[in-house]
Amino acid sequence: MHENPRNMTQGTFSFLPPLTDDQIKAQIAYAIKMGWAINVEYTDDPHPRNTYWEMWCQPMFDTKDPAAAFMEVQECRKVYGNMYIKVNAYDNTRWRESVALSFIVNRPKHEPGFHVIRQEANSRAMHYTLHSYATEKPRGDRYK
Amino acid sequence: MAKPEIGKGQLTGAERYKAGVIEYKRMGYWQPDYVPKETDVLALFRITPQPGVDPEEAAAAVAGESSTATWTVVWTDRLTAADLYRAKAYRIDKVPNSPDQFFAYIAYDMDLFEPDSIANLTASIIGNVFGFKAVKGLRLEDMRIPVAYLKTFQGPPTGVMVERERLDKYGRPLLGATTKPKLGLSGRNYGRVVYEALKGGLDFTKDDENINSQPFMHWRDRFLYCMEAVNRANAATAEVKGHYLNVTAGTHDEMIERAEFAKELGSVIIMIDLVLGYTSIQTISKWARKNDMILHLHRAGNSTYSRQKNHGMNFRVICKWMRMAGVDHIHAGTVVGKLEGDPLMVKGFYDTLLQPHTPVAPELGFFFEQHWASLKKVMPVASGGIHAGQMHQLLHYLGEDVVLQFGGGTIGHPDGIQAGAEANRVALESMVQARNEGVDYMAKGPEILAKAARFCKPLQHALDTWKHITFNYESTDTPDYSPQVTPAR
Amino acid sequence: MTAEAAQNLNAVSFDLEGEFARSNVQQVLDKLDRELVGLAPVKQRIREIAALLLVDKARRALGLENEPPTLHMSFTGNPGTGKTTVALRMAEILKNLGYIRQGHLISVTRDDLVGQYIGHTAPKTREVIKKAMGGVLFIDEAYYLYKPENERDYGQEAIEILLQVMENNRDDLVVILAGYANRMEVFFQSNPGFRSRIAHHLDFPDYSEGELFAIAKLMVAAQHYVLSPGAEKVLKDYIPRRMKMAHFANARSMRNALDRAKLRQANRLFERKDRTKLTRADLTTIEAEDLLQSRVFQG
Repeated sequence: MHENPRNMTQGTFSFLPPLTDDQIKAQIAYAIKMGWAINVEYTDDPHPRNTYWEMWCQPMFDTKDPAAAFMEVQECRKVYGNMYIKVNAYDNTRWRESVALSFIVNRPKHEPGFHVIRQEANSRAMHYTLHSYATEKPRGDRYK
Repeated sequence: MAKPEIGKGQLTGAERYKAGVIEYKRMGYWQPDYVPKETDVLALFRITPQPGVDPEEAAAAVAGESSTATWTVVWTDRLTAADLYRAKAYRIDKVPNSPDQFFAYIAYDMDLFEPDSIANLTASIIGNVFGFKAVKGLRLEDMRIPVAYLKTFQGPPTGVMVERERLDKYGRPLLGATTKPKLGLSGRNYGRVVYEALKGGLDFTKDDENINSQPFMHWRDRFLYCMEAVNRANAATAEVKGHYLNVTAGTHDEMIERAEFAKELGSVIIMIDLVLGYTSIQTISKWARKNDMILHLHRAGNSTYSRQKNHGMNFRVICKWMRMAGVDHIHAGTVVGKLEGDPLMVKGFYDTLLQPHTPVAPELGFFFEQHWASLKKVMPVASGGIHAGQMHQLLHYLGEDVVLQFGGGTIGHPDGIQAGAEANRVALESMVQARNEGVDYMAKGPEILAKAARFCKPLQHALDTWKHITFNYESTDTPDYSPQVTPAR
Repeated sequence: MTAEAAQNLNAVSFDLEGEFARSNVQQVLDKLDRELVGLAPVKQRIREIAALLLVDKARRALGLENEPPTLHMSFTGNPGTGKTTVALRMAEILKNLGYIRQGHLISVTRDDLVGQYIGHTAPKTREVIKKAMGGVLFIDEAYYLYKPENERDYGQEAIEILLQVMENNRDDLVVILAGYANRMEVFFQSNPGFRSRIAHHLDFPDYSEGELFAIAKLMVAAQHYVLSPGAEKVLKDYIPRRMKMAHFANARSMRNALDRAKLRQANRLFERKDRTKLTRADLTTIEAEDLLQSRVFQG
């Protein structure tokens, strides 16, 4: 059986080997060049519909150098190294006004993933729910 | 309102309405002094007049036959504000390098059209006129839709940004694949292809345009198996994925029933074919807005009338109409794949779908400036004969807001469908990464892919398998203005 | 050792002259000469620092040096002695030589770094540091960060974050601490962490009478004014008197004096009966009386 390299592949670069620090800085530098604001977010609930990861710090609107956001990545890793951490870049130009780039910069060591819960309905119809194994434990106890 | 300008030689008063047949240009359909109003609908036609018909008369005839005229004078015109309702040909240009052809600019008052109805707009603009004997060939090249009229349309139900937010996918083109073979798979086998491709790394899979509800696979079967596959793939990847469930059917009611079932099963996206017709497209578009459904349009049939340069219509106009009618995805060319598509023409289509405003740009086929008011962006879809080895070209020509669909390029992978999907995703992500890092990825594309293939065997096999595949045929539909001008064939 | 470093070890020569020319550092030094009168010892120190960094670059190219040099500095001197201007040029030089990536200067004081309540200071300081990254962080009157009389002063928190960043992010940020020489000395004594992290101390001397006169003339010309011969004489008299008074701030005091003279000139012109027929000379000339009304000459 062919297996995906990972079982959580959200973000722009999840199919590449984990980005090195220099590669992360290069992507942040690109975001700065494009005039985007940068945000560092973390979570222990990586459900794809979990839109609101925790914000590690205030969004960085006026930094000129990637070292700034990268410093926050490092600090966040120190505290939440067992969680998912991503860097989001936000473009506020009209007709976009949304995230322009979003990539994972930290993963838990063990990623148990998700399974499907099926609810059978009439005429073979099926209602699906995605369940994260990690969230069976309370916040703070996941991914240990 | 100022009275429309009267053209030279135009008849007025009782003379104009004497029973009989008079030239179109003398009936008021040729008005070279007319200054188009901001609220006029403008159209540009490529006209090949019959021998002996002068260009002005041909242009006036097109204006007449696409608005108020009939072959003979009718006194009932005098019961109306006919000067207003008459379309006006106001400018003629020679087509570069095609001596028998002319570009005619025609203005239509907004009051000629029903609000929020592509069917009504098109019944005038491409209604009777294309069969009109006085022209040997006629092609609608471009239109300017006034903001006031645009505002009566809903536009795309979702739009590019909301689609990205719903899917939680940013910063790269999306990836898709059409299930192959197009016809004959049972529902169970069909779902297998969907599962493999999505689990392997694609964002979307797709029904083909002619997959509806045939004896080998009825639609409910297809929907059920595909959604099982989608949800399994979602669980395997923690991503939001989708399968374009084609809801095209014989009747409206049937189409809506299929859409409702897709919704019940939790699909994020449905699909329709262009052959549905404009009324059905607007109907399902409104349904999609109401039900938070992304709406994918396959342009089935368009090449029947959009491919030849001397007759029919340019696909760019279809793009405009579809942005108005309201679809979220539309197939709009690949530049490098197996289907027709000159790079500049394709850029014109993409700009039409994605830009808030397009200035006059003859090289892209934009004869008019177009403000898109607040109609959302449509995601172009590039599909047909593309593979991972072309990733640098695809990113360069098509940009970031596009769905790249690798059907054969996924399912035909020697190591299987998942491997094919992974190869595409790795190729794409490494190309975007290189672009963002400031690498000259167009020049170094093959190098970047080779480097990525070192950690991704499936990509290596994909590159080996398709390394010689290109489709270098000359395009038939090319721009008339620079950089290279090709005569119409 | 990386392949690149190994290759560097094999390199035998480095074109210092060419590197200097490419860096455009001479142009920056020339600009500084045009902008700032006098300051010979400061300019000399800057030349020395530039030479040091250039040689450091050469040594690293040949594999003789691995550690990036410490570049944090202190600029001491009285107000108006050109510290901010020199800091701007220093940022430019560091950028040209490749020691900082962006070359911008963020100038702050205690209020920009220290908060008003618990938990306020760290984010504030970090915000400033992040904006300055890739460039130079210039902290004017840095000693106000340290208030020993108040045990719970939040300044201490800012100091700790700054020290940490000055150590850990030497590649990302150059910090320049500035202020009066004597107060800086006290500050360094109480905060040895700063002193050990500072590589270059630049002392900015007060300007001489002659230098201040030259500075004033430069300012006048830059604003498209001229001093009448009478006004020049008054200015020469004004400068030593002003130097002896309180709140004397070198070049800044010259700028203030000229600003007030411009105001008086405008008033004088406005009150003229023939103000419908002012000439170009009328509009540009500062007369003796425009300066003589200064409080410096009262009492």
